[in-house]
Amino acid sequence: MPLWANPRLGLLILLVALIALFTALRPAFMDVTLTLVPLQSDVSVYAVVGLAQLAVLSLGHMNMAVGRMAAMSAFAMGLAYDRLGVSLVTGLLIGLLVGTLLGALAGLVISRTGVNSFVVTLAMDFALVGLITILYTRFTDGVAFGGLPAGMDALRNDTFADYCTGDVCGPEISLVVPLALVAVLAVGVLFRFSRLGREILMTGANGRAAELSGIPVRSRVVQAHALSGLLAGFAGFLLAANNGAFSASIGDAFLLPSFLGPVLGGTLLAGGAVSVLGTVLGAGLTQVIYKGLNLLQFQLDQLNLYIGLVLLAALSLDRVRHVVADRKGARV
Amino acid sequence: MTLVAENLVKTFPGVRALDGATLRLAAGSVHALLGENGAGKSTLIKILTGVHRPDGGKIVLGGAELHLNGPLDAQHAGIGVVHQERNLIPGFSIAENIVLHHLPRRFGLVDRARMRAEARRCLGLLDLDLDPDTPVSRLSVAQAQLVEIAKALSVDSKVLLLDEPTASLTGDEADRLYGIVRRLRDDGQAVVLVSHKLEEVFAVADTVTVLRDGRSVAEARPLAGYTQDQVVDLMVGRAYSSVRLADRHVDLRAAPALRLDGVSTARGHRDISLSVRPGEILGLYGLVGAGRSELAKALLGLDRITAGTVEVRGRPVRIRDVGDALRRHRIGYVTENRKEEGLFLDQPITRNVGVTVWRRMARAGLVTDRAERRLVAGYTDRLGIRISSPSQLAGLLSGGNQQKVSLAKWLAADCEILIVDEPTVGIDVRTKAAFHELIAELAGTGLALLLISSDLPEIVTLADRIAVMNDFTLRGELVNDHDYARMSQAIIRLIHMGSRPAGDETA
Repeated sequence: MPLWANPRLGLLILLVALIALFTALRPAFMDVTLTLVPLQSDVSVYAVVGLAQLAVLSLGHMNMAVGRMAAMSAFAMGLAYDRLGVSLVTGLLIGLLVGTLLGALAGLVISRTGVNSFVVTLAMDFALVGLITILYTRFTDGVAFGGLPAGMDALRNDTFADYCTGDVCGPEISLVVPLALVAVLAVGVLFRFSRLGREILMTGANGRAAELSGIPVRSRVVQAHALSGLLAGFAGFLLAANNGAFSASIGDAFLLPSFLGPVLGGTLLAGGAVSVLGTVLGAGLTQVIYKGLNLLQFQLDQLNLYIGLVLLAALSLDRVRHVVADRKGARV
Repeated sequence: MTLVAENLVKTFPGVRALDGATLRLAAGSVHALLGENGAGKSTLIKILTGVHRPDGGKIVLGGAELHLNGPLDAQHAGIGVVHQERNLIPGFSIAENIVLHHLPRRFGLVDRARMRAEARRCLGLLDLDLDPDTPVSRLSVAQAQLVEIAKALSVDSKVLLLDEPTASLTGDEADRLYGIVRRLRDDGQAVVLVSHKLEEVFAVADTVTVLRDGRSVAEARPLAGYTQDQVVDLMVGRAYSSVRLADRHVDLRAAPALRLDGVSTARGHRDISLSVRPGEILGLYGLVGAGRSELAKALLGLDRITAGTVEVRGRPVRIRDVGDALRRHRIGYVTENRKEEGLFLDQPITRNVGVTVWRRMARAGLVTDRAERRLVAGYTDRLGIRISSPSQLAGLLSGGNQQKVSLAKWLAADCEILIVDEPTVGIDVRTKAAFHELIAELAGTGLALLLISSDLPEIVTLADRIAVMNDFTLRGELVNDHDYARMSQAIIRLIHMGSRPAGDETA
């Protein structure tokens, strides 16, 4: 595969070009506390959101409930912190378990009934919207949990620059970044090197052949959806950490970005091929555009309009690149 | 002559499907088009109906040369066809299906009254008393078949092609269909009949063209001049009888690796008994639809076995799924349909071969590309798979190499019992010979092989014993003496004339 046909490289170039453009138009784009640190946090959240969708795109499935799975996980975390007073890590694990179970449930329904994943997760999304409202009304003042565990504040506000050994301080990197990085690496290793991840991809590439090659197809479907739920829950945690609150609105804005990252990064909707690095770059690109246009003082509606247009253009360019590559005989 | 197709040539990647085939049709006659699987009948029909374009040769209809750019062209030219596969839209009514390609319109909207009238006319031609508004999904298989013929008649056709029209019909229904065919002939149509059922062909057809290896070996001859045996001889030819593989020694005292005893399945198999020893090739011959692949899939746990016992190496077993078959019993299944079931076309060769062995290769659940590539290199060398790099996508390989990849997957998995389903369909003659040597060699290493094939020369070349299946039952088992003429006739006789109880023909 020629270098120019690599979608990741194209994304990277586009990313750098946009950063240069925004910096030229608004030097404040390079302001560390105003722009760069919040940008890191946002990219961290949406990279993980993208991975949550990627986990099922690997099968050629979709998870339309990605936002609501995140919300349910966040609710479980908030409840555990507020009512049980558990530590940061324990609460996180409880929430992740809830996300995983929700994903597994979706996977189970899909693999047992054979109903399309789009329909199953969409129905699940509807059900969870209602459930979340009921739960927050019952257990909180209706908006968010009050009690937060120790360490939550640091996750929200600190960067490594706040931690010094003698005179040497860390870089201006927000504390959620390494957390997201762990998820990225884990998912990358899973799909690249592990038998489980590879078998999920083969199931996505050709389910019939996978079954006839001895892959337990049904379990792989359940596992991929469980992973999606787990990652959605983790994204919910990261967003709650960024916002400083476990609230009912977590996950509301996850659905569209969850597709944008993977698709921009070259993950096939048809299944069988994923790009973890591409998803991170795709999430980065989306957030840079968002931040940049924000700095250029676009109104929210205009912002959405232009983001839509920019993404459409990016995807079309990507398609053109594919077609040209195909003509030159290079399979992408 | 109504229609002459002369010296047609058609090549697909890796296969010469037609190599100078000629078909001459006269108005007012029923013409049988015969040949073994892979002889080129379907390709010829697809060319005549505009599905494929020929690479050479020409089609002349009523004195004028015909260039077909698609199925609609063929329809307009007056060539109607009933394909082997069903081509009706289940949710549409009979009338809608019949006039699908030339809907009568009024003010831009469908003229339903005229549509019904036209449908009634076509159904009337066949003496069919069906309500044109009935959805096709509610018809029986036989009725749907007849509606397809009505659809073919709705275009004012001069030529009607029937590809295996009675495959899903009962004897009575078939008789009725042939009554209609005779009447169409008497009305001056040229009817082409493709069928594996020789007795039916002899009962209804006037002339015959026999295809073998893409060539016509008998062209528009009067059928009355042949006996059934002579036609079979023409169909199977003797080209392969010279191919003889080195003798293998099968230890006849060895206990069977796989034994089926009185097995019945949910799919309709009844009382199937067979056994394969290590180092032995048991051929399972039958026509398409005889239930051979279905038996293999039931064995692998993909379908329910309702009665009888399956024994692997002497122990009765219950196989749950393919993974179970592979890991617990060392049974592999090389599928018939490699593009849909055997291969992952958009995945690299390494993954296609490695998929069955990741479990063994994994260290702490992780598989490295290097270990995988080393494994694949071993098999590409051993099987002579020509690839440009291990990361090449399987979909870019030729048919023969694809088949080898799908075989390599099971060899890598260290199977002791291998079910190979139609290994050489769509593979050219030379690769085929190499493949046959490979299969014989595998048996030589002690593998127990169940070879499913509808290719007579292949079965006679490779098998030690041949079980013949028809209509989901075994019709008999023959010890193969590799004498092609004798074996092929014995097999064909078991199928075509074989309503005798199984075991009668056991040599």
